[in-house]
Amino acid sequence: MTRTTRKLLLPGTLIGLILAVIVLAPVLPLHDVRAMDVPNRFAGPSAAHWLGQDEFGRDVLARLIWGGRASLFIAVGSALSAAVLGTLLGLLGGYFRGVVEALTVRASEVILCLPPLLLALLVVTILGAGTGPLMVALTLLYTPNYARVVYAATLQVRALDFVTAQMAMGAHPLAILWRTILPNVMPPLLVQMSLVVASAMMIESGLSFLGLGVVPPTPSWGLMIRAARGAMEVSPLLLLWPSLALAGTILIFNLLCDRLQAVLDPRNVTAGGALWLRKGPRRAALPAVPAATDGPLLAITDMAISVNTSERSLELVRRADVSVHSGETVALVGESGSGKTLTSLALMGLLPDQLGISRGQALFRGRDGRVTDLAQLDEDGFRRFRGAEISMVFQDAAAALNPVHRIGDQLAEALRDTGDAQEISRRVVDLLRHVGIPDPERRQRAYPHELSGGQRQRAMIALAVANAPRLLIADEPTTALDPTIQAQILHLFQKLKSDTPDMGLIFVTHDLAVVAEIADRVVVMYAGEVVESGPVAQVFARPRHPYTAALIASVPEGAADRLVAIPGTVPPPNAMPPGCRFAPRCAHALPACSAAPPGAERPDPARITRCIRWKEVT
Amino acid sequence: MLDMPSTDTPLVQARGLGRNFPQRQGLLGRARDVWAVRDVSLSIARGETVGVVGESGCGKSTLGRMMLGLDTPTRGQMLFEGRDLASLAGAEKRRLSRRMQMVFQDPFGSLDPRRTIGAQIGDGLRIHQIVPRHDIRAEVARLLDQVGLPSAAAERRPHEFSGGQRQRIAVARALSTRPDYIVADEPVSALDVSIQAQVVNLLMDLRRDLDLAMLFISHDLHVVRHLCTRIVVMYLGRIVEEGPADKVFGAPAHPYTRALLSATPSLHPRDKDSLHGVLPGELPSPANPPSGCPFRTRCPVAEPQCAAAVPDFRTLAPGWKAACIKAGA
Repeated sequence: MTRTTRKLLLPGTLIGLILAVIVLAPVLPLHDVRAMDVPNRFAGPSAAHWLGQDEFGRDVLARLIWGGRASLFIAVGSALSAAVLGTLLGLLGGYFRGVVEALTVRASEVILCLPPLLLALLVVTILGAGTGPLMVALTLLYTPNYARVVYAATLQVRALDFVTAQMAMGAHPLAILWRTILPNVMPPLLVQMSLVVASAMMIESGLSFLGLGVVPPTPSWGLMIRAARGAMEVSPLLLLWPSLALAGTILIFNLLCDRLQAVLDPRNVTAGGALWLRKGPRRAALPAVPAATDGPLLAITDMAISVNTSERSLELVRRADVSVHSGETVALVGESGSGKTLTSLALMGLLPDQLGISRGQALFRGRDGRVTDLAQLDEDGFRRFRGAEISMVFQDAAAALNPVHRIGDQLAEALRDTGDAQEISRRVVDLLRHVGIPDPERRQRAYPHELSGGQRQRAMIALAVANAPRLLIADEPTTALDPTIQAQILHLFQKLKSDTPDMGLIFVTHDLAVVAEIADRVVVMYAGEVVESGPVAQVFARPRHPYTAALIASVPEGAADRLVAIPGTVPPPNAMPPGCRFAPRCAHALPACSAAPPGAERPDPARITRCIRWKEVT
Repeated sequence: MLDMPSTDTPLVQARGLGRNFPQRQGLLGRARDVWAVRDVSLSIARGETVGVVGESGCGKSTLGRMMLGLDTPTRGQMLFEGRDLASLAGAEKRRLSRRMQMVFQDPFGSLDPRRTIGAQIGDGLRIHQIVPRHDIRAEVARLLDQVGLPSAAAERRPHEFSGGQRQRIAVARALSTRPDYIVADEPVSALDVSIQAQVVNLLMDLRRDLDLAMLFISHDLHVVRHLCTRIVVMYLGRIVEEGPADKVFGAPAHPYTRALLSATPSLHPRDKDSLHGVLPGELPSPANPPSGCPFRTRCPVAEPQCAAAVPDFRTLAPGWKAACIKAGA
């Protein structure tokens, strides 16, 4: 069964069932909807009348099914026709803007100013009462809703590169609208549709009650609810059935629209869970780790990070060995998908849902000399470390800073336990000055969006070092910055290091040149594994792993006419090759390479490589 | 290698291009001029790759859009084979668009997530009737092969590909109309190093095989130096230096080019103290540019004289010029 059928099976069957019953109403052995039986009015369910009889003794089941015909026809029909009309107006207005926008979207919005009942009265006065005019009224009523939603979505989509590419291709504007923009505004359209069907059923019942829509004794769910309301105390069940039918149908439509939306989106999005729904700690008590008197600040040994799905577990990172001494800068370098960011997030306890450390240790030596295994900590345990002992600088400072709070307030929040208000505000200014933000007294009152990209990154660094952490993790902190600003930020990191000589720094980056500028030691990761590590100068001068060598050769520096490109791409996590993960792209691979994962070898006491041929090929 | 300017007209020529995005402050405030690009003249011949470098906000992307006719210049003219793009409209402009194509920076945003690769590459073939209808599949396969992808890729959707593969698909789409001229706006910036090398090599091969004129916009000096024959350095909407790649990067004449070069990290750091010579400050707001030379507020060698007027270009060698009063001195 494909994903599409699986997702649509449930709502599709339910809708099909409802439609079948409604369409087959004339041939089903139902009682006459108008046959009155006054002596048995308000009779409860019986063998002859499954759902009982109403205030005129008519059969409720028959009326429910026939009423569904009217209600669904009107609601779905008007929702669809309003969708077509509104989408057309929204697309045209959103794409062409200007005069077209005024004539389509803005004009349709006039309708929003009229009360729905007034509009319906107007339509009925002109066209007369009945199902047709009611549909016209509802269509008119809902068109602006669709137009607005589609208009907003169109504005968003038309700014995307693939639309510009179509324009550059010389495609006709209408072709772009139909082929490219319409499919991409579908998701909000479907949501709107499920809302409108529900709302149209409600309004239909209201208008029918006023005699503007379906005319009694023809049944509709709306009319049935209205009639039952008067007899609520005598026979509450009468109210229950049409309400149940109405609510049930609306819910099924919502489900169908949700599923359709998921199916239409080619990217299979898995839903995340709320923070408090995450799995609890794997082991409750903190295991006591024998504390050595001297050792590295952080020692990760054989760590694996796995994704836990119901079917199987996949190791996204495995055999990660990283150690950081205090005062040392270690660069974690690799391409996207190498697991470098996951490794650093794991140290902060910030792994996404469904991911967890499944093996290995990450021993961290705290300020008090105690050693804690970060791999065993739960959410509460990490909270003691974050900020105070380990802190992080993210790539996108614009997203990582809270946009609605002033920079100074965010810093003060981080410093809140360190003294009285005056002391804190003094320290905030000191910190901002320390990270090189000019005029800190005034700048602390700025919101993140008022700062430039470089200054935002500085503010974020100030936030990270506010409590003098022992370990600072910087995840691609300069990637989004321009060269001259990047140089300034790298310079700032060097200054921080010389000011706080005990702080360890893990610098995650994909840029080898940045590694050469800032790091003492480098850890090269590929496809979730550490393939080589060692002192930067040695590794760059003589890489002992073919991947490192190829990576260095692919940097467009130097005089070579053609760049060395590594053929192929990083394998996806669910299709990792057995043995050496780099073997399929490696120029020196032998059959033996694919046999078993290579072990760690030491070409030098300070270096590690995971290549069985390092002696020959490097 | 620099081709000496030939006598016939260049394929693409920008004359004094300027683009203003007026901004109104408040509801009744006066509109303020914000010039993203000012007075840029540039020409590209067939088979030539011109690199535009500069930091974000220097106007290089706006320039790229104008030089493809996607944006209309406020001032100046954009000529393609001597014809002003602003004078064309509707069907005529769409016809001309066959000959000029664009490759975008974001390989995730530049492909429609909901349509197959084959359909998207085939659009250009259908619109401009490059090949008969029944040959479209074969032509799409040929284009995919040209960028090093299997023809089975045509049936798949963008999310099934990695960033580098998507960028190659975008290149295949741009090549589908058999253009003479391509604007590539940061086409490798979002890619990993090893993948970046694949795409750079691909672009070099295509330039050689198809005799394309290319405008290559990037902030990565190493890539530009590797790929381009001629370099244009922009700062705050203006060209500050233009010349052959080896000259501009070998002996930069403008202090901004020098600063940009020294700020770019290198695998072989000159020495650990090199970072202490970093350029202070940030790009001034284009809404309120400094008087005179736009770079003087951050320039290490600025003099009072620099504030007087926008410096004229000084020609240092044929095809090499810099807008600095101290250039070549």
